[in-house]
Amino acid sequence: MLNAITALGRFGRFSAGIAARMVRRPFFYAEIMSQVWTTTTRCLLPVTAVTFPFGMVMALQGLEIFRLFGAERMLASLISIATLREISPVLASVLVAAQGGSSCAAALGAMRIKEEIDATEVMAVDALKFHAVPRVIALTIACPLLNIAGSVAGVAGGYVTAVFLKGEPGGIFLAELWSFMGPTDLYGGIVKTTVFGLVIGLISCYHGYRASGGAAGVGKAVNDTVVHSVVAFITLNYFLTSALFGAAGQ
Amino acid sequence: MISTLAGIGRYGLWLRDLGRALLVHGMPKGQMMAEAFKIGIKSLPILLIIAAFVGTNLALQGYNAFKPLGGQRLVGMFVALAGVRELAPIIAAAMIAAKAGTEMASQIGVMKIREQVDALEVMAVNPLAYLVAPRMIGILLMLPALTVIAIFVMLSAAYAVCIYQLGMNGHEFIQFAQESIEPIDFFYGAVKAMFFGAIICTISCYFGFNCGKGPEGVGQATNRAVVTSSVICIVINYFVSELLYGGAF
Repeated sequence: MLNAITALGRFGRFSAGIAARMVRRPFFYAEIMSQVWTTTTRCLLPVTAVTFPFGMVMALQGLEIFRLFGAERMLASLISIATLREISPVLASVLVAAQGGSSCAAALGAMRIKEEIDATEVMAVDALKFHAVPRVIALTIACPLLNIAGSVAGVAGGYVTAVFLKGEPGGIFLAELWSFMGPTDLYGGIVKTTVFGLVIGLISCYHGYRASGGAAGVGKAVNDTVVHSVVAFITLNYFLTSALFGAAGQ
Repeated sequence: MISTLAGIGRYGLWLRDLGRALLVHGMPKGQMMAEAFKIGIKSLPILLIIAAFVGTNLALQGYNAFKPLGGQRLVGMFVALAGVRELAPIIAAAMIAAKAGTEMASQIGVMKIREQVDALEVMAVNPLAYLVAPRMIGILLMLPALTVIAIFVMLSAAYAVCIYQLGMNGHEFIQFAQESIEPIDFFYGAVKAMFFGAIICTISCYFGFNCGKGPEGVGQATNRAVVTSSVICIVINYFVSELLYGGAF
């Protein structure tokens, strides 16, 4: 228990250090851009490969329920709202944590073990600023981008099952897609994933930066990164959902 | 593309070796329960947190989605169907892949790097049977149980949100939830969990055994294990759902 609180405090100090370095010169633009590019391209396939089948499953199960009421035309709006609000932000972030966050922790951990981080500091370069800050920023930028791709793939998966496999009329599906959608649905997912990306970035850099004890330490850092960041952002998700989509229980 | 295909082929060959090792060598008895404990009990707290918060969100979003239609009462049904049939098995599998799967990959990877796997072979112990079999049995025992626990926690959390945050009628919630799911759904959830467990275990151990050199190798193996196994679980989930609920086959 005490250990957990200590770790939380250490993480808070680490995050404050990152935040202070984010706003201060010099900014390593090239490093940030290359990190954004690697993260996005690496995570793109896993994210779409997960949301697409999930959209298909939603269509499969949703169709069965709506058939009970004879309301098959509602299917498209269910899929689009569920995907944009919850499924895509959460699944995309899980995959970003699993792919982007853990590879970031693995890279930093390996640098720490091989004493490359110490070498950076010996050369009078701020290691935290050069190695950690670009990765945090990159994950914060990449996560919403990947969420957009995930949303498109999820709705496409729903379309494929409903129209091609189950023979629902495609025109109705496309017409009903936006019928219950509000502006919050469009930017809500983006806001959420930006926050999630920041959380993933901070947690993965924290664990990677503090890795110790050889190859096993890197493995442990990666493991901790995935678990802690998923727990953190799913907990945050509840509060963000309450705040963004409003549920005061009127 | 070619390297992906080659990887799939290598995985298939590895599975064949694994099957052969299990048939020939049987399994070590003592390790099984230790692994089951490690996989099940150590992952439980995380799973409880995740399942609770997924349940709360399910209730919130279900409420928001059905409100324009005037069907808030359907939230109970929505939560029960979505939670029991799809989300609980997937969430449990994803968490076990993230917690136990990464641990398998990194432990076996470290053993590989330190040449402990070779040492096992020198002692005439088959590493596949000795290292993979107990983990496999452990995960197959534990994941269905964890899935049922996740279902319970998810529904309780959704119930709490519906009653205390959204001010709904608790009796209605329970009635709609009861009417929409059947006992067989729990069994199907467990079947799904078995599939996912086998996938997570074999993929994580495969990446552990094929770990590259040094700390980067272990990091990369762990990373690939969690990504690949969660992607494959969700893809397989579609087919299992289609088989169990879709009636297409």
